Amino acid sequence: MARTQSAPAAGRDTASSRPAAAGARPPRRRRGLRKRVELTALLAPAIVLFIGFVIVPMIFAAWYSLYNWSGFGPLNDFIGVQNYTGVLTGPVFHQALLHNVIIAVLSLVIQLPISIGLALLLNRRVRGRTFLRLAVFAPFVLSEATAAVMWYELLQPGGPLDALLKAVGLGGLIHYWLASTSLVLYSVFVVATWKYIGFGIVLLLAGLQGIPPELREAAAIDGATPWQVTRAVTLPLLGPTIRIWIFLSVIGSLQLFDLVWIMTLGGPANASSTMLTYQYTNGVQRTEFGYGATVSVVLFVISLVFALGYQRYALRRDTSGALTRAVT
Amino acid sequence: MRGSRKPAIVAVAVAAALAIAACSSSSSSSSSSTSASSSSSSSSAKVTLTWWNNGNTQPLLGVWQSVAAEFHASHPNVTINVDPIQSDLFTTKMPIALKSDNPPDVFQQWGGGQEATQFTSGKLANLSSLTSSWITELGQAAAGWQVNGAQYGIPYDQHVVGFWYRKDLFAKAGITSPPTTIAQLESDDAKLKAAGITPISLGGGSRWPDAFYWEYFAVRECSQSVLQSSIKAINMTAPCFTQATKDLTAFMATNPFQGGFNATQAQTGAGSSAGLLANGKAAMELQGDWETSVVPALTSDKNIVSQLGWFPFPQVPGGAGASTAVLSGGDGFSCTTGASEPACAEFLQYIDSTPVQEELVQKGGVGLPANTAAETVLTDPALQAAAAAHRNAAYDAEYFDIAFPTNPGQALDTALANFFAGKGSNETIINSVSSSSGH
Amino acid sequence: MTAASARLGRRAPRRDVIRERRTWLSLPASYLVILLVLAITLAPMLYMIVGGFSTTAQLNANPNALPHPWVWSNYAAIATSSIFWQAVANSVVVAVVATGLAVSLGSMAAFALSRYTFRGREAFYLLFVVGLLFPLNTAALPLFLLLQQIGLNDNLLGVALPEAAFSLPVTIVIMRPFMRAIPGELEDAAIVDGATRIRFFLRILLPLSRPALITVGILAFVTSWNSYLLPLIVFTSQNHYTLPLAVASFQSTYTQDTARVYAFTSVSMIPALAIFIFAQRKLVGGLVGAIRG
Repeated sequence: MARTQSAPAAGRDTASSRPAAAGARPPRRRRGLRKRVELTALLAPAIVLFIGFVIVPMIFAAWYSLYNWSGFGPLNDFIGVQNYTGVLTGPVFHQALLHNVIIAVLSLVIQLPISIGLALLLNRRVRGRTFLRLAVFAPFVLSEATAAVMWYELLQPGGPLDALLKAVGLGGLIHYWLASTSLVLYSVFVVATWKYIGFGIVLLLAGLQGIPPELREAAAIDGATPWQVTRAVTLPLLGPTIRIWIFLSVIGSLQLFDLVWIMTLGGPANASSTMLTYQYTNGVQRTEFGYGATVSVVLFVISLVFALGYQRYALRRDTSGALTRAVT
Repeated sequence: MRGSRKPAIVAVAVAAALAIAACSSSSSSSSSSTSASSSSSSSSAKVTLTWWNNGNTQPLLGVWQSVAAEFHASHPNVTINVDPIQSDLFTTKMPIALKSDNPPDVFQQWGGGQEATQFTSGKLANLSSLTSSWITELGQAAAGWQVNGAQYGIPYDQHVVGFWYRKDLFAKAGITSPPTTIAQLESDDAKLKAAGITPISLGGGSRWPDAFYWEYFAVRECSQSVLQSSIKAINMTAPCFTQATKDLTAFMATNPFQGGFNATQAQTGAGSSAGLLANGKAAMELQGDWETSVVPALTSDKNIVSQLGWFPFPQVPGGAGASTAVLSGGDGFSCTTGASEPACAEFLQYIDSTPVQEELVQKGGVGLPANTAAETVLTDPALQAAAAAHRNAAYDAEYFDIAFPTNPGQALDTALANFFAGKGSNETIINSVSSSSGH
Repeated sequence: MTAASARLGRRAPRRDVIRERRTWLSLPASYLVILLVLAITLAPMLYMIVGGFSTTAQLNANPNALPHPWVWSNYAAIATSSIFWQAVANSVVVAVVATGLAVSLGSMAAFALSRYTFRGREAFYLLFVVGLLFPLNTAALPLFLLLQQIGLNDNLLGVALPEAAFSLPVTIVIMRPFMRAIPGELEDAAIVDGATRIRFFLRILLPLSRPALITVGILAFVTSWNSYLLPLIVFTSQNHYTLPLAVASFQSTYTQDTARVYAFTSVSMIPALAIFIFAQRKLVGGLVGAIRG
């Protein structure tokens, strides 16, 4: 991935670096105007749609956060930052935030190695490789609601999972997967892994295919063990892909809602709460829409801080050209 | 960018209405029409009522459809569009609907403090004058549906919470008659456990079933005046509430519930607390009278309803509350303001008329009718027992999450569910209803 | 030639054979792992599908057994249910509109953001990236009010337009580097031949970006197809329901009829899976193009 510094640079800033070509070129003023017209035509529709349906509601939501509002009637109880102090100092919110962090960290520590391992495996020329990739990716295509309903049934006490464990003699491992306050968060994590690991694998597979086999061959022939080849050659070259996966995974972990809500309602006793289940319980159910909006703004700020920080320190060297390759 | 939005909404509403008519495909949105003279008789103008009810499962689904059709037959100028919506979704949809320009004309209502919260939207119709001629038939039931003394909702059924039990399992454990005191209940639990039967099923995952237990202990411990004034003031610092927590703790220490009850849903599927009762996996459940309409679909036993008996929540020694007091509630409907009010009120009167109430009881499985004149058609002995307990109760206590405004009500449910899951204390329960709490 | 290959004497064996021999997991073990992964991935879905062939009474009595006998009535009821097909039709319309808008507007914007220089370019890009970070749940109520003010309530467009808007960030983030990588020489050549930049965009750049276009198209389509909260809020009449809403409504209506719920849920998986199967080749190709270095 590091070899492509030159190619994208050639693709950038073509307008200013273009050599004066022979033939008719409009005078600079007209070129500037024309460029502006083109830009507007190209950019405006997306900007309008985006600002109208995404940015404006976001701003309204931020506005609600300054009020004590039940969702009914007019906005007339301005309380300033009181909602924010409530959210930021509340132990229940801290617990939800902690859960989001735990899930994000577990994704990195557990899902990433599994994804890499499986991607390496599936990169080999085994029979039915296409079908395997399909099968592994299929859960990603399901809606979170469907997956949650499915797993809710599977994890019932005495349900299919418990029956399976008993059948293979592992009956001692049976627990109350969804009812135990100490286990439920991890049950949710397992289901989320089931759902999203396919996406990671496909992403990594794509990255793996960008690594020319010659590099690995050369290392192998020079006497490196397979593990050394992986560690010294494959993994570093997979770096940019891994870093994108980390970014998407963390953002996804912060915004986890549907899956948890349908399986556990964030319970029991908030044991599987996330920031967004907290928002629903305390915002919508208790008709405190202002408070709910506050949670969203806080969540947004947390995501933003992470995104900006990550962009600066981790992705910087990747995005400057390393992601792409010239199409020949 | 931000002005007051109300004028903007009003100004755009006209354009929006035109746009809606032009752009959207056929929709059942109500646009009650022309009659400028809102005379109480709706016989002159055509009206379409959009009706949101929670009867999205059989048999209520079919019964409401036929009620709407019957009403249309006798009032040809009124068309009713029935929109059944799953009960829990009302929490999400109602605030939004009441902010919209065309909220449903008739919608499901549970009264009490919840209704008072919705009242602040300004869209609930004041039905006092439209119903004055017949509302007294409902007696005391209608009082819980008033806000500031005016009628904003009309009940169509009443609920009372008590213990449903399986007669066969009681017999198997050698229990000859239902318990009347908590001590007897606990010893019956022991007998059931000895016979290998889970004594009580509990839908802790849904939160509100947990609340019934604590609330009943509170109803038994608190005198009527303390109870009513505490609810009104949204303040549970009176000592009897703390005593209720102690009673609950002692009761829970006997482990009467099924394993994993914290994640069990109340009514969904065979693994729910109702399903466990229906399939004989548990002997009792503390639930409302709607239980008889929920269990038939959860089991293949066609005679499940006749297997069930009912007994009231047992007495608590030394409690200041009346031993016959019951935890109660009801279902009803509200109308939204606008030209559809008269038709809506007439429709609700129709629903509360004795023939329709009898139909609801016999075919709809609603439990106890709001119009007590229809109680004569109750055939199931268990329901008759429940109805009698309600009739003879010294006083009613509405379940707290309805009696309170929505915010503290939900906070209380959550605090109680947490308590059942082992997280929380008496303080968290008592303080959950104060405004800055539970966060 | 290295010592190793010299030792081998004859011509070095095929590359993939070397690879097979020198990996850290033997072939049979690899197959075992893969089978395990397949089992874990597919078993839950199979359970649902098979469950749909059972009856509720059976499932209540013994949830872990195979259906005995296998009944077709649940699936048949769905195939003949007008609600189901109406919901599929609605989902298709909404998803096609949302995807079409997201991909077309997004690629136009990506083109502008990748191959033009102008002041504030990075700021515009950041604006779109920021949209990735705000969950849809929160925007729900204000979005509803907005839709009401412009008259799009209970209207398929009222869901398709916001979905397109929320898909723009991912579209732009994926397409921009892709477009940036296309060498300037191509563009220069086109200009010299007399084409405008817009023409270059339409005739040359877009076709070259096809893998990425398909990728973002699939992502937008699947996101729209699975969307639940937004349609829940916008649609009031049942005949506008999209598939996830119909599934949820079905689940709650027939909540006690577990077998039927399984059947409905299984059937609702089919369109999403079909789209995926149809396009998976392009998807991997698209991601390869975007990631490859």
